[in-house]
Amino acid sequence: MTGRHPIAAVVLAWIFPGLGHWYLGRRRLAVAFAAIVTAMFVLGLSFHGRLWLPVAGQPMSYVWSFADFGAGALQLAGRALVDRPEGDLLAVTHEYGTVYLATAGLMNLLLMLEVWDIATGRKSKEKEPA
Amino acid sequence: MIALVPADHFLIMTIYALLVSGFFALLWREGKRERWKLFGILLASLVLGGLAVAWLMYPFPR
Repeated sequence: MTGRHPIAAVVLAWIFPGLGHWYLGRRRLAVAFAAIVTAMFVLGLSFHGRLWLPVAGQPMSYVWSFADFGAGALQLAGRALVDRPEGDLLAVTHEYGTVYLATAGLMNLLLMLEVWDIATGRKSKEKEPA
Repeated sequence: MIALVPADHFLIMTIYALLVSGFFALLWREGKRERWKLFGILLASLVLGGLAVAWLMYPFPR
């Protein structure tokens, strides 16, 4: 156990990539994960990818939405900042962008699972220098 | 949103491979040497695998 609350670590990890690791004292890893996931997400937006919302009658839209919501505050900010969260279907990079955005969300979901394992003592990581 | 990267398919695929490889190397391995090793393996697999699939699909454009 790390002495930190696992649920708080998971919630922080969802809010912003790397925040859960930062809370658990893995600061260098936190910065690296934040940089990677944020870069993936911002590139996805710049490629005019789609931030999905569930659509009745389209089962796959729930899967894409689940992946996108994994990015936490990033996807909320993305929806607020871009003109068209549904992306630009005519852009040659639209599908790449959609995959980048979903991958950023899925990466953050993995980070949430990892901070849970670290906080509950199921996974021990090397100590970082202070 | 401005274009941060030119619309080049190979470049976009390679950037994706770099980010995914870096992510999993940090997530799955401990120690600098082990991380670099996994990073290289993943990067090579993704880029070369992508090229191989593209080559295999070449005779079937539609």
